Amino acid sequence: SAPSLERPQVVSHVQQSLSYTVFDCKWVPRSARLLCLGSAARGTGVVQLYELRGARLELLREIEKPKPIKCGTFGATSLQQRYLATGDFDGNLNIWNLEAPEIPVYSVKGHKEIINSIDGVGGLGIGEGAPEIVTGSRDGTVKVWDPRQKDTPVANMEPVQGESKRDCWTVAFGNAYNQEERVVCAGYDNGDIKLFDLKTMSLRWENNIKNGVCSVEFDRKDINMNKLVATSLEGKFHVFDMRTQHPTKGFASVSEKAQKSTIWQVRHLPQNRDIFMTSGGSGSLHLWKYEYPAQRSKKDSEGAEMGVAGSVTLLQNVTLSTQPISSLDWSPDKKGLCVCGAFDQTVRVLIVTKLNKI
Amino acid sequence: MPLWLREHRWHQTRTAVFLSLPLRGARAAPANIFCTERYLKVSVPPFLFEAILYADIDDKSSTAKIGNGNIFFTLYKKEPAMWDSLTLENADKEKLQYIRENAVLKAQERAKEETEAKKVTKQEHKKYALEATMKVEEAERKRIEDLKEKERQRITEELELWKKQQKEAAKYKSIQKEGELHQEIQQLEERKDEKMNKTRVPNEVTSKTRLKPTKGHGSCSIFSQNLKEEQLPAPRSAATIKVNFTPRVFPTALRESRVAEEEEWLHKQAEARRTITADLSELEDLKEEEKNPDWLKDKGNKMFAMGNYLAAVNAYNLAVRLNNKLPLLYLNRAACHLKLRNLHKAIEDSSKALELLTPPVPDNESARVKGFVRRGTAFCQLELYTEGLQDYEAALKIDPKNKNIEKDAEKIRYLIQGTMQGS
Repeated sequence: SAPSLERPQVVSHVQQSLSYTVFDCKWVPRSARLLCLGSAARGTGVVQLYELRGARLELLREIEKPKPIKCGTFGATSLQQRYLATGDFDGNLNIWNLEAPEIPVYSVKGHKEIINSIDGVGGLGIGEGAPEIVTGSRDGTVKVWDPRQKDTPVANMEPVQGESKRDCWTVAFGNAYNQEERVVCAGYDNGDIKLFDLKTMSLRWENNIKNGVCSVEFDRKDINMNKLVATSLEGKFHVFDMRTQHPTKGFASVSEKAQKSTIWQVRHLPQNRDIFMTSGGSGSLHLWKYEYPAQRSKKDSEGAEMGVAGSVTLLQNVTLSTQPISSLDWSPDKKGLCVCGAFDQTVRVLIVTKLNKI
Repeated sequence: MPLWLREHRWHQTRTAVFLSLPLRGARAAPANIFCTERYLKVSVPPFLFEAILYADIDDKSSTAKIGNGNIFFTLYKKEPAMWDSLTLENADKEKLQYIRENAVLKAQERAKEETEAKKVTKQEHKKYALEATMKVEEAERKRIEDLKEKERQRITEELELWKKQQKEAAKYKSIQKEGELHQEIQQLEERKDEKMNKTRVPNEVTSKTRLKPTKGHGSCSIFSQNLKEEQLPAPRSAATIKVNFTPRVFPTALRESRVAEEEEWLHKQAEARRTITADLSELEDLKEEEKNPDWLKDKGNKMFAMGNYLAAVNAYNLAVRLNNKLPLLYLNRAACHLKLRNLHKAIEDSSKALELLTPPVPDNESARVKGFVRRGTAFCQLELYTEGLQDYEAALKIDPKNKNIEKDAEKIRYLIQGTMQGS
């Protein structure tokens, strides 16, 4: 391994202390501004817009909403509009225009319980197809919304009647490489990972990784699905090779145990899909690189194609906080710039250096 | 007895004395020479040479050269004067002795001083080495810090530069847009109404907020949005996908599971099946099947169903003798005793059953409910209503939906209140 000074370094650039619990932080596309979403002590939701100026974060705007906000995404909006879609503790999905945030552009009470995770696809000039938002909630359902259709979701993944429900903890879009194809991957608290194909409206694959799934992400939303990373409790994460699906064995995977605590988030670097960062419950960040195997697929004894998983190496790790780092976002515009929010009520802007040399 | 060496030769100058001592074949080493300010001794077994010098010499700078069967001394005098003779001639024995001893003492002192001096220098050397290493490490650390600092500054500069670029790009774009708008506004004037009507329905919500900002921007973005609308596919037709969640023997997620307890219970059950606690010699005259506790349990159940409670009790007794770890045997025997109105025995048996039914897991729920209910009934029939109520409430906790248990619990509560009021 390279000597320590030549590996990528994670440098803490700015640290900002907040007066509320931050659940999600996102870069505003095409700008040096970032958003923090969370819950204030009095039980209301907070959205703060900051701008990165020199060595400080300057607060541009603060918006208060009646219910605490758990997650947000810019994934389904166009670059000119840059509307923010949020999910809150009450199960409401809202899309806001940050210039005029008093009334949401779109609003629906999508779920009966807190929306744990949200993702958007089709916007920001990435990929093709209709803009869609997917939400996963504690009530066990995963719903896909189109901002042009009010009140009813365009797809609903719910438990069979009478079956006990499991909390859905995370959702992600993938495989959106043309106008028709799209998949949604959902992770649940009992370790289930389910892959839904929206073109055929069916369950394409499911698997169980024993521990609750905290975060799933495809390495790119807008290509033929390539890799999926799923992180879980007890410090394990799995990288699935999604190019080859075996009829019974599903997708090949490699798993790694990174740290003793929960891995809260995984985020791929937008500029290099083989590098991703995981954030942990012990306040640490790990930067990983995936290496492909010599042959990505092979034939098994019956002649069916089977995927071969590669290997994962740790590039760098750093501990920033004593509390879990619950949210992480890479800037799509500047390579190596990322923001993370932790439960110690601070948001940190970090710079990861030497990513060009990998 | 050493041999004295007397054939020495010497000559002197004002400042030095040169003494030559033949060794007659023996080999000498520096250790054999002992020299202090006033006393010189050479001891090469079996030879011995001793000289108490006429005056003091500087023994630090004096030298001795060993070679060719000879030792050649060069002794530098402390006071430059000519000596009458090499040694002190007419000194008496005591003086000689005193000088000898003095010499030895002086030598020892000097040796001590030398070791002290060595120690001190060693300490100083160590300290110096330590400080030097610390400095080197400090320098290394500083270098790394500087590197990091430089990186940080460089990145901050890059960020600022990039931000400036963004701003300029945005300004440029907006200027461009203004230019285009002025050209197109005329063209749009007639066509705008038509387009607005067509697209008002899907854009209802968005256009309301859009018309508020300045006219130029509003029309521009509506225009661009119209184009995009035509390129995007229609919203998907709604559908539902039903999902099943992974079943498990014990349907809980790993984090909720009480795997440990459940394992324990399963283990206990397995153990219980295996134990045979009876003394086989007594039971030799029993038939094979009568030695099987399960068969006996079934027999007991049949007797109970027929109403022959005593026979049932007998069967259960034998089964218990064979294997006293099966909770169901005690449970069923308790039911028999209840019917036979052997209330104390019923209480005993239900207690034993409940004891064996730990740890409490969903698997043995129904058995535990039965145990509590039977014990509760026995207590009530003994008029120990509070204990009975306790057991009924425990049963209710395990199975809150059972109406019979609820009714009975109500009855007991009523009874208790009645007796309390009465007394």
